[in-house]
Amino acid sequence: MKKSLSHPFLLLLILIAHAVMLLLVIMRFGITPEAVQLSGAVLLFDFIGFIFLQFVHREACTVDSVLLLVLGMSTIYQSCFGGLTFAKKHFIFAVSAFLICQFTYLLVRNPYRAEKLKPLWYLMFFVLVGAIFFLTGSRGIWIDLGFITLQPSEFVKPVFVLICASSIRTQLHKKTVLGFHYVPDNLALLICTAVIAGLQWYCRDLGSLPTFAAVAGCGLLLRFRYLREKISLRLVIFLCLCAAGAAVAAWQLAPAYVQERLHSDIWSDMSGSGYQQVKALTAIAEGGWFGKGAGNGTLINVAASRTDIVFSAICEEWGLFTGLMTVILVLFLPASLLTVPPRSYYHSGLAVGVAAVFMVQMTLNVFGSCNLIPFTGVTIPFISQGGSSMLSSGILAGFLKAAQAPVLTGGNSAGEAEGGR
Amino acid sequence: MAKQTAPADNAPQLDVSAPRSMRTAGRLTSVLIAAFLVGLFYLAYVLVSRSKFYMSKTGSTGYGTVYDRAGDVLFDGTKAMSSYPAGQFADVGNFIGDASGQMSNTLVSRNLSALANYNFLYGKEQGKVSLRTTLSHQVNKAVHWKLGKKNGTVIACNWKTGELLCCVSKPNFDPARGYENLASLPEGSLLCKAFYPIVPGSTQKVSTLAAAYEKLGAEVVNRLQFSCTGTWLNAKRQAIKCHEEKGHGTETLSQAFRNSCNPYFAQLIQSKELPLSSVIDTYTRMGYSVNGSKADTMTLDGITIAPASTKLTDANDFDTQWGCLGQGSTLVSPYQLMLWECAIANGTGTAQKPYLISSRTDVDGRYTPVHSAGKTGSFFSADTAKAIQAVMTENAKTQYSASLGKYKCGVKSGTAQVEQNGKAYENSLLTGFCLDDRCPVAFCVVIEERVSGELSTAQLTKTLLDALSGIS
Amino acid sequence: MDYSTFLNNDPLLRAGLTAAAVIFVDLCALVILIAASRERRHGDRRWAQESRGLMLVCGDTAYPLGAAEIVIGRHPSADIRFRDSEISRFHAILTLSGGSWQIEDLSGNGVTVNGKRIEAPCILRRNDVIGIGRRKLTVMRGKKG
Repeated sequence: MKKSLSHPFLLLLILIAHAVMLLLVIMRFGITPEAVQLSGAVLLFDFIGFIFLQFVHREACTVDSVLLLVLGMSTIYQSCFGGLTFAKKHFIFAVSAFLICQFTYLLVRNPYRAEKLKPLWYLMFFVLVGAIFFLTGSRGIWIDLGFITLQPSEFVKPVFVLICASSIRTQLHKKTVLGFHYVPDNLALLICTAVIAGLQWYCRDLGSLPTFAAVAGCGLLLRFRYLREKISLRLVIFLCLCAAGAAVAAWQLAPAYVQERLHSDIWSDMSGSGYQQVKALTAIAEGGWFGKGAGNGTLINVAASRTDIVFSAICEEWGLFTGLMTVILVLFLPASLLTVPPRSYYHSGLAVGVAAVFMVQMTLNVFGSCNLIPFTGVTIPFISQGGSSMLSSGILAGFLKAAQAPVLTGGNSAGEAEGGR
Repeated sequence: MAKQTAPADNAPQLDVSAPRSMRTAGRLTSVLIAAFLVGLFYLAYVLVSRSKFYMSKTGSTGYGTVYDRAGDVLFDGTKAMSSYPAGQFADVGNFIGDASGQMSNTLVSRNLSALANYNFLYGKEQGKVSLRTTLSHQVNKAVHWKLGKKNGTVIACNWKTGELLCCVSKPNFDPARGYENLASLPEGSLLCKAFYPIVPGSTQKVSTLAAAYEKLGAEVVNRLQFSCTGTWLNAKRQAIKCHEEKGHGTETLSQAFRNSCNPYFAQLIQSKELPLSSVIDTYTRMGYSVNGSKADTMTLDGITIAPASTKLTDANDFDTQWGCLGQGSTLVSPYQLMLWECAIANGTGTAQKPYLISSRTDVDGRYTPVHSAGKTGSFFSADTAKAIQAVMTENAKTQYSASLGKYKCGVKSGTAQVEQNGKAYENSLLTGFCLDDRCPVAFCVVIEERVSGELSTAQLTKTLLDALSGIS
Repeated sequence: MDYSTFLNNDPLLRAGLTAAAVIFVDLCALVILIAASRERRHGDRRWAQESRGLMLVCGDTAYPLGAAEIVIGRHPSADIRFRDSEISRFHAILTLSGGSWQIEDLSGNGVTVNGKRIEAPCILRRNDVIGIGRRKLTVMRGKKG
């Protein structure tokens, strides 16, 4: 990035924004060891990120700077809920997410290579699905490794996005069986979608089903779109009818506990099933526009305050302005796609998949906790606590980065410099 | 990358714009983002607009203050009520109430959302909400003190403007003392009796008189004469007794009203000239629920007042006649008795609706004055109102000159025989109005279980009027 | 040094500081947006470098090579579209890999490079002439503006 002053200036500004937030924390709690640890960690992370982005790696700075800003903010939020305790684990995962984003970028920045590795993605997919199926406890979704508990279903998301993306060459590769034309890649995607849907159903983890459905839907839409100038009205109507039919079927066939969620009125069962949402909403109301102040929240006593209803927890302590701003900032990640268009079909598939994951997760979390849609236990990428979610979001951010700064040199047998001939 | 070779002459301008198909991804993403943003702003709107509702569910909302007409505090939600001098709220406890939810039909309970001192910008307790009322705490305290150990209720309002000036109900409850000893409180402590129907006794004769005037006109009625011999047997040979055992002899209406003579009014009801349907008509207009018909519930700034009710089936029957004399199944709230006095005092048959809240200050400090609550429907004609006014003024002049002599008053007394929990006792009532410019008020005073020699309703009324003429 | 009571007792100050934090975060967001718009230009430059600055020229029309895969054909979704009847719907595909462009015949209806029909993917160099149907496309380096 030549002659651009905005980059260092931006990183400096991120540092200042974090510093102001930390100042607020320090004014509330005084200079305690926890406050020093938190400030030191966040500012050091900013500084190292600054050095790294300024002098080592200067591609796709939008994604990286948004990541730096959001990860710092989320560490401050998570450290302040209900009193100041430096969220070490969260911070370590935040740094890991930043690093894993860079590694993922290196891995998938070449779309050809990434797509050539597709058998590997399928393998990983089935390994993860198998892990969920066999390793997790009776219909649970966690694997306990002692020092860390992993949620394999979180890692299925990036792998599924990798599977959903497809290049045009793959799409033009058709096979015919019994006079029936099909694209093997699309068939594989459909099978994977069915597998994941069946698994979610089996695991009673229907909360993340919309995420996978959205990714698969976007992936399929892109595949159809590539080879057609206009999507015919009939196809649109057919797809809409299919989606509506699936929704109705899901609504009708959903297990009892889901039915209960869909139909319950939280205000009539304030201490029962509506407890979390009631607390979340009243916390937002108590916080108002500018919040009760860092560390003054009471939502910490409610289950999942750091994950599923984290939006409310932020709103309670920092105010609705900050809460909305944070959500919109995370939105900047998929929005970066609008400024720099992807340059290959595979990367555009990846980017849209990531956008679908982020948007659906945030929708389910924010609107679900505020009772606009049924409440499901999903996380906001980079904001919610949880290592698996953080790392898989980091991987997804890496995909976005790859779509912004693809590298097409090397990695191909025919690779030769043009001037060489 | 820089190549030294000069480009061919026809070399095009370098263009690296992404092909259309690459923009699909961007379009799809922008649709997703736009939908999410729309949802987010809708969410913000919902959260802000419903935040008061959410706060009401926390049970920790802060409330504002209620003041009387002089700025004295009647309720304070911003700090502990017990921090006020003892007895500050003792006279208004069951009327103004508090935010605890224990007393539902009180001003505070009925206006909780207006008093909620919360808004999304200031947070929980930074608002400036307050209500100013027309009540005079000073008058209220005086009347409350005067009642002493007696139970009862006093309600008064300005019949010119509708401002409610005084409202006391004993036994009372002091919210500052808390609810620990709820079980040991005397019965009726937690509600304001002025708003609940009671047996009206002879004050009912005002309504019956109104019915007669409406049907026959004042001239005819005033000339009607009936005789009283102490006990009168009606068409069904049922006895209507007069409180004067020897009887009052032949009386005119004015005398009978003054004497509160039961046989006179029973004969009036039974007389052919006054058909029962016309009595029912007038009663219904005045707001009675007659024989279970629907009557409108009245409200006073949210406080609900049940309408009067009675049963009138047969003009020749004892129960009907007894009902028109204010006993039997007839029930009227002191509030409604006062309301009719308003319509009589102003001589129009229509009253200014009483109101209590004279101004509201919202959470941002915006001030909204309230000047009137409008008018009631017409209870009876203006002629009737003036005729009743004359009879009542005459009554006050002859019967109450000793106690109320210095005021230009019109009153009707009543003694209600009540039987409750197997115990029979008499409640003493006085309803009326004062026409003086010093205190243009209509009032209803009730002293429960009054026995001869104790504080009389007239003495209590004098206290009320004395206090009121001091303030208005 | 403990400001806690000071900060908690003054909601206005608290709101003000929170607002300041929000404003700084907003400012960051704004500058990120500015940076992003610069990045678009940077992305174009970057792509020009990646794609060797090449374009296809057919007669007076120049076709940019703006993606790593460019489909030439009759189909409406083809990136370079010719409505000639002798050109297949998806006739040929140009791909950028290993730092050079290559062309592949997708339809089997024949693609020539410099007059020779290609059987396998063929690497393109500057001034090569691609023949598709009766169209002649010349690989050229675009002039940098």
